[in-house]
Amino acid sequence: MDKTVKKYWPLFVLPTMAAFVIGFIVPFVYGLFLSFCKFTTVADWKWVGFKNYTKIFVVNGKVDTTFLHSLWYTSLFTIVTMLIINIVAFAIALALTKGIRGTNLFRTAFFLPNLIGGIVLSYIWLMIFNSFLARYSKTIVSTQWFAFWGLVIVVSWQQIGYMMIIYIAGIQNIPGELIEAAKIDGANSHQLLRYVIIPMLMPTITVCTFLTLTNGFKLFDQNLALTGGNPAKQSELLALNIYDTMYGTTGWQGVGQAKAVIFFILVAVISLIQNKLTTRKEVQQ
Amino acid sequence: MKKRTVSLFLTTAMAAALLAGCGSSSSGTASSTASTAASTASTEAAAAASTTAEAADTTATEAASTEEIPGGRVYLLNFKPETDEAWQDLAQKYNDLGGNVTVLTAADGQYATTLQSEMAKSAAPTIFNIGSSTDAQTWDDYTYDLKDTDLYNHVSDHSLDVVYNGKVAGIANCYECYGIIYNKTILDAYCKLDGAKVTSVDDIKDFDTLKAVADDINSRVDDLNAALAGTAFDGTVTEAFASAGLDDGSSWRFSGHLANMPLYYEFKDDGVEDPTQGEATIKGTYLDNFKNVWDMYVSDSAADKATLASGSYNAEEELGMGEAVFYQNGDWEYSALTNADNGYLVTADDLDMMPIYFGVDDANEGLCVGTENHWSINAKCSQDEIDASLAFLNWVITSDEGRDAIDNTMGLSAPFDTFTGDYAPTNPFSAKASELASAGKTSVAWAFNATPNVDDWRKGVVSALTAYTDGSGDWDAVKTAFVDGWNDQWKLAHESN
Repeated sequence: MDKTVKKYWPLFVLPTMAAFVIGFIVPFVYGLFLSFCKFTTVADWKWVGFKNYTKIFVVNGKVDTTFLHSLWYTSLFTIVTMLIINIVAFAIALALTKGIRGTNLFRTAFFLPNLIGGIVLSYIWLMIFNSFLARYSKTIVSTQWFAFWGLVIVVSWQQIGYMMIIYIAGIQNIPGELIEAAKIDGANSHQLLRYVIIPMLMPTITVCTFLTLTNGFKLFDQNLALTGGNPAKQSELLALNIYDTMYGTTGWQGVGQAKAVIFFILVAVISLIQNKLTTRKEVQQ
Repeated sequence: MKKRTVSLFLTTAMAAALLAGCGSSSSGTASSTASTAASTASTEAAAAASTTAEAADTTATEAASTEEIPGGRVYLLNFKPETDEAWQDLAQKYNDLGGNVTVLTAADGQYATTLQSEMAKSAAPTIFNIGSSTDAQTWDDYTYDLKDTDLYNHVSDHSLDVVYNGKVAGIANCYECYGIIYNKTILDAYCKLDGAKVTSVDDIKDFDTLKAVADDINSRVDDLNAALAGTAFDGTVTEAFASAGLDDGSSWRFSGHLANMPLYYEFKDDGVEDPTQGEATIKGTYLDNFKNVWDMYVSDSAADKATLASGSYNAEEELGMGEAVFYQNGDWEYSALTNADNGYLVTADDLDMMPIYFGVDDANEGLCVGTENHWSINAKCSQDEIDASLAFLNWVITSDEGRDAIDNTMGLSAPFDTFTGDYAPTNPFSAKASELASAGKTSVAWAFNATPNVDDWRKGVVSALTAYTDGSGDWDAVKTAFVDGWNDQWKLAHESN
């Protein structure tokens, strides 16, 4: 049996591999290629070399900081949401694994926001924010910081439930005898958390930080619906900035594509580092 | 080792998802809607084919007309979502006669993305929409020269053609007009008030009078409400102008339509022959007028100046429910305002439109007439397909079925010489545009069609306008966004590569 599998494995891998190549590898390589072209449709391109890349930073002979602004704004946004989501989700997960009454109800309630699509969710929140801010004659797009915290609230509200479920699964996977042994050895609840639960949860933390990190960088729907990049592109996250370049500027499809490539490299590097940092802390049972 | 594999896998998966996401997520959604629509269309086409067979047996006359219809593939990528059903019906009728037409409609606001992905396909659209000469520039390689086609010869107003690079790149298939919609009933009641600034609506002939009236209405709302006792608008009035919302759903009324006024007059001063083609650099000569009108919209309205960008205002409803007397918008609003399903208080008898008096040439100014709907033929298609597409469009504007659909079902005013008699435009606002034009007023062309990188430019203007209005910015920033923004974007949009 083993031998047959060893012999025929390419056959079994083929369907998935084909899907992966068609769905990911080909668009990826083609996208990379297009970032060096001027194109109207993806089938109709002209090679322009690195022109697209210089246009990201220099527009009409002047330095253009829109992309750089988006870059740091997005980074800040990602760090803030990553921290908030993970800390809150972890805290809720801890509380909801203590066996209090109505645990399932709470878990469902916290998870629910995640089931609503980003656009709808943002329009609902837009209404809430603006009705509230109207009392102070402000709107969510009055300044980039209003927009920033608005986005943070919406995204946290949406993703905390999801991360909570992952943390709950992780906590429930910690062997009971381990915790019991620690308690018998005299560990208080703080020590239990610090020296048993968190180390045992490191793989879960890796996954959750990874997810929130990439979600933060890739955020699009909520940004589009909640602020639309207003005021004056000040609240434009990277994904929306790329989209706007692609469709908002005549003949700039290639520049949008070039931005996407830079975006990819950046996120890939950051998530590799993050993965390395958190996996190093993981312990073997 | 295992962990490393997992992390490597996670990273690759993320990376791949990311790039795939950037490259095609938007076009992905567009094309998925597109493909659903296409599949519906093809089932319809199949159904049509089977009915054709039966029809051919029964009526000899129809069979005769079938001979003239070329069987080349026609694929119309429709721009207006609200006309989708009418176009599908029309395509089916034509297919019954032997045509081979597929109609697909892009989702609202998704035309550019849908067109971009559809054009890359081997069965690309044969007929598509271009909005302006900017679009004609983007799609220059794809537009077929429509000069001297039957379609071109039927056009009654060639000022609406899109001419780019020596070609007639697009032919307008409808035209629209906009101005200031007003509630006749309320305004008449105002004119009868003691100390009213005018005694008849017809006396409002320039910006100063309009402003005086609007100021007066806004400050004497209670008097006006008292005078309206016994009408449908008893106690409804709260403001002169409907809210000037600066959210994405409404800001185009000002960054597009109102901004057209200073652009138009400046192009005219500079002797630009076709204002819809625009100029590479502008000076903002008439921005002070723009400011005056804007200030009037904002101060003579009940909406809170500081929260105009919140999206919580509904100007259409304000006019519809008789809260506002004036509302700057276009003839497309007519059906929404009079549609019984919306439950508005206004009726067709209450509605009328006046020019946006701008304080430049008010005596001669008419409504703003233009369009963003132009048919273009895909030059990269085979000659068969091009001929079939032209034949289809020609059928649409000459046959009874086609004219009926455009005129009555879609409710559009079409600029072709075949739309006369029973098919003359029925929209009272566009009738008003013609009325003013025949009274010697000059219709204002849609100069804003020339806006370079229109979304970006408008965003800049709207942001500055928002800051100016809520008090956190000044008017100079609006000027900068308007003038420098235009000049910069023009360079970007027109640079050669």
